[in-house]
Amino acid sequence: MNAEDLGEELRKGSGELSRRRKTALIGRAVTGLCLAIAVVFLGLLIFDVLRRGLPQLDWQFLTTDVKGFNPETGGVRNAIVGSVYLILITMAVAVPLGVATAVYLEEFAKDNAITTGLQRLVENLAGVPSIVFGLLGLAFFARLMDFGTSLISGGLTLGLLVLPIVVVSTQEALSAVPDEFRNGARAMGATEWQVVKDHVLPAALPGIMTGSILSLSRAIGETAPILFVVSSFIRGVPTALTDGFLALPYQIFYWAQLPSQEVQQMAASAIIVLMALLLTMNGVAVAIRQWSLSRRQW
Amino acid sequence: MSNITVEDLNVWYGDDHALKNINMEIPEGEVTALIGASGCGKSTFLRCFNRMNDEIGVARVEGSIRWKGVDLNGEDVDPVALRRRVGMVFQKPNPFPKTVYDNIAYGVSLNGRGDDDMDQIVETSLEQANLWDEVEDRLDKNALTLSGGQQQRLCIARAVAVKPDVILMDEPASALDPVSTQKIENLIEELREEYTVVVVTHNMQQAARISDKTAHLHLGELVEFDNTDKIFENPEEELTEAYITGRFG
Repeated sequence: MNAEDLGEELRKGSGELSRRRKTALIGRAVTGLCLAIAVVFLGLLIFDVLRRGLPQLDWQFLTTDVKGFNPETGGVRNAIVGSVYLILITMAVAVPLGVATAVYLEEFAKDNAITTGLQRLVENLAGVPSIVFGLLGLAFFARLMDFGTSLISGGLTLGLLVLPIVVVSTQEALSAVPDEFRNGARAMGATEWQVVKDHVLPAALPGIMTGSILSLSRAIGETAPILFVVSSFIRGVPTALTDGFLALPYQIFYWAQLPSQEVQQMAASAIIVLMALLLTMNGVAVAIRQWSLSRRQW
Repeated sequence: MSNITVEDLNVWYGDDHALKNINMEIPEGEVTALIGASGCGKSTFLRCFNRMNDEIGVARVEGSIRWKGVDLNGEDVDPVALRRRVGMVFQKPNPFPKTVYDNIAYGVSLNGRGDDDMDQIVETSLEQANLWDEVEDRLDKNALTLSGGQQQRLCIARAVAVKPDVILMDEPASALDPVSTQKIENLIEELREEYTVVVVTHNMQQAARISDKTAHLHLGELVEFDNTDKIFENPEEELTEAYITGRFG
């Protein structure tokens, strides 16, 4: 090839290359536009909530209990406390059960039809509409176990809701641990349990924590599963597992339906509180992830 | 004598007959090299000696491997107990993501020798692996910060720390640079004095340099097994001749 041809080929804006360049440009524009649409709507939503909710969001709103009658005179204190308690129960239920299930499926279960069946079952459970879990909670925990409309009924129901998500995210964290660690430990004479306990779980721990926190932050925003076991009118905060409770998402749902303009603005304030709670949890999850990635050497 | 006697050993992966009627005797206190083209079954064979094939769900092993009067392939043999007597070093260095010290200490404490003087065991093992001088002041550093060659010698140190009788090595130098390879080879020479070593290698010269006996496998069958000198200078089998002179493989 002589210099002139080479120059022609390398020059911008000539022939085939310029066509490919145009296609690339269109691709960038279309995907960028999609991103812009998503961001604009999310931005509008947040802006609207902030506009309506911020003015009456003060310390008093956060530290006063919900008033059943004349809600305008109350705040959200016991709904925040209720949501925090719920999440603690959910965590106590879903994380140990979910992690143990994932360890069994990923590390111990034989690769056969039963395991595959269980695996598909867990994955499908993660996709069951949350209102179905709400009805299950009502039928099983509230009625059959006779826990009634109580914190424990709500926590157990939410625990069941996020259990499959904890299982799946834990499995992903476990399968990301290289087999070399497992084989190295086996070759040293470690039992399968020692392999898991001494090597696989420590290596997967940051991933398990991140996945669990994200699952829990989904639970804290859920209304439908607790719809039937939450108490609409209650004073103070629960002091026992069997006490009735309020929760932020339910309070938002309830207030938003009331005709009073003022109460609807309080719903917006409660949304801000809930979002702050969610963002904090997600922030912790992201921080753990970043921290472990920066430390990880495999 | 505690040679390891392999009799009528067959391994299947599902329908794939990976090892066919292997009969041979691995001599105690010598280095035996397993050579052969990719897929000939040499790594599979190696994994029979510490029952690592048990971890592959679809593998089926038949026949016997007798050592000190026990059939290692027997149902009554506990693979976990066996692996504490038969150590293994893998192709890719795989230290645990723990400190250099803990990498050695882990296997030792698994073996219930946690009460012994651990510092002494760590030092001795690292010295045996010719690594002590390089990591003496880095014992509390993560093992994954070491170079590849150092990591592999750490894996060897980790294996010798539990005082096994046999050490299996699956292409221990294939992922390393020439200088590190040299160090591993020297190390194998030294290990011969205390251990029975079985080493899989792709490298003909390496097999010739480090081993006393060499077994050539081809498509799951043992083609020839003899003194290394004999194999490389005057092999009986045409196939072995062809393989070591590089006409295939």
